[in-house]
Amino acid sequence: MKEVIKMWKSTKMVVLVALCAGLYAALLIPFKSLVLIPGITEIRPASALPVVFGLLFGPAGAWGSAIGNLIGDFFGSLGIGSAFGFVGNFMFAYVPYKIWNNLGIVDSNDREPNLKSGRKIGAFIVAAIGGALSCALIIGWGLELLGMVPFAALGAIISLNNLIPSLVLGIPLLMILYPRIKKWDLLWEDIMPEEDLPKTGPRQRSGAIIMFIGILVGLIGGLAVAVGGGQELFNFAQAGEGVSIVLIAGLGVLATFVGSLMQ
Amino acid sequence: MDMFLYIDKDTFLHRLDPRTKLAVMFGSFVIALLFESLPILLALAVIILLYGHSGKVLSNLKRIRVILFMIGLMSIVIWSITRGGETKLLGPITLEGIIYGITVGIKFNVMIISGMIFLSSTTIEGISLGLVKLKVPYRGAFAFSTAIRLVPMIVATSYTITQAQRSRGLDLDSGSFIQRIKKYVPLIIPTFVSVIRSTNVFSMALESKGFGYDKERTYYMELSFRSVDYVILIITLLLILVSIYAKITFKL
Repeated sequence: MKEVIKMWKSTKMVVLVALCAGLYAALLIPFKSLVLIPGITEIRPASALPVVFGLLFGPAGAWGSAIGNLIGDFFGSLGIGSAFGFVGNFMFAYVPYKIWNNLGIVDSNDREPNLKSGRKIGAFIVAAIGGALSCALIIGWGLELLGMVPFAALGAIISLNNLIPSLVLGIPLLMILYPRIKKWDLLWEDIMPEEDLPKTGPRQRSGAIIMFIGILVGLIGGLAVAVGGGQELFNFAQAGEGVSIVLIAGLGVLATFVGSLMQ
Repeated sequence: MDMFLYIDKDTFLHRLDPRTKLAVMFGSFVIALLFESLPILLALAVIILLYGHSGKVLSNLKRIRVILFMIGLMSIVIWSITRGGETKLLGPITLEGIIYGITVGIKFNVMIISGMIFLSSTTIEGISLGLVKLKVPYRGAFAFSTAIRLVPMIVATSYTITQAQRSRGLDLDSGSFIQRIKKYVPLIIPTFVSVIRSTNVFSMALESKGFGYDKERTYYMELSFRSVDYVILIITLLLILVSIYAKITFKL
């Protein structure tokens, strides 16, 4: 995870953070009035971007997604939830490139995100699921903890709201953008110095597995506990009442961060 | 759509240090989150509106009036149906639910209005330098302020591309909602390509100006706390402490 800090040494990566954030915000803002949960989330076709940014620009894409989401929040939903939105959107781009590099789906000799094989498309789908659900888990858990919105509603809505654009728009977007980004030497692994690139190995693979399982268990477990425990999907009256939901989802969040730190 | 939120005025609010305004904004978030009492949240809303009025920036609320209205409406609809209560009005709708819906709507709107007042009265440079003074690394603050400045440019680029395609016969107005969205997808790609392509030139321009030469850097703009900043900070802190005390003691 050191590359997340070390990338700030490179001017080109700093510029990519700003450009990714600007693009993400520019696509978020026009849809701010299509509210799904008042003050929290809206219809977001822009959710197609973080996974693509993560795979192309690595940590710059992750910071760009986080900052872009915060700027988007300035136009109608800036509140305490924006803090969780910042972390959640960071993970929305961070988790995909970690899954891509370390989970072992993609051949270790050819990690270029060019989606030229069925295996790479499969890896993209897994990466998008990981990214989208990690964002839903962190925001859902945070706002349940504050007693603002129930985990059952927010976790489900953000998961779908993130996942559908990531898969439907993300795949063609990456297919079109990759050759150009590669040609301009703007892939993050081409920009960052060799010594600052994260290592790959058994430890990193274990980290990716822990992170992915943490996301799935946290989100699906949290939803199962919420629904099984009587927290109806759209019964907002029960936000903050489920200690076990906070605990299960919180364990998922913890595992996600522990797994991330191992990479 | 004008993407710049800052309203240039010479008022008491505009002259406050950005860190003071950030503290007021976060203070209002904390107080709003603490209470579920309609009178207290209404009082907080009045204080926040007076604070915004002092800077003559409330006109920006017109830009988010649809969002504020939708939040209020959705809150009342959702909570009046799901909250339950003893005073049944119609079907599952209860009086307690409606009151709670209004309370939650005000809570969310107070936070959003507070955020909008901060953004309307603080320049991007001020926010950026305020963050640096709060020990956010300047490269991060630079990326943040640059991204805000880029948003209008990106929107203008996409508008130019859309107009160019329209002049070649692209019909964006006909078809269903989904069909129209599909037509916009190919327009996004040139915008992306155009923006990302500038990375190399942008970074060379920055480095030629000495960006990243040193860990510490100096700024043309200077921030410093004045006595009024200290007074506002103390008032904010006192309000937060009183709110916490009232929450614990009176269970409001």
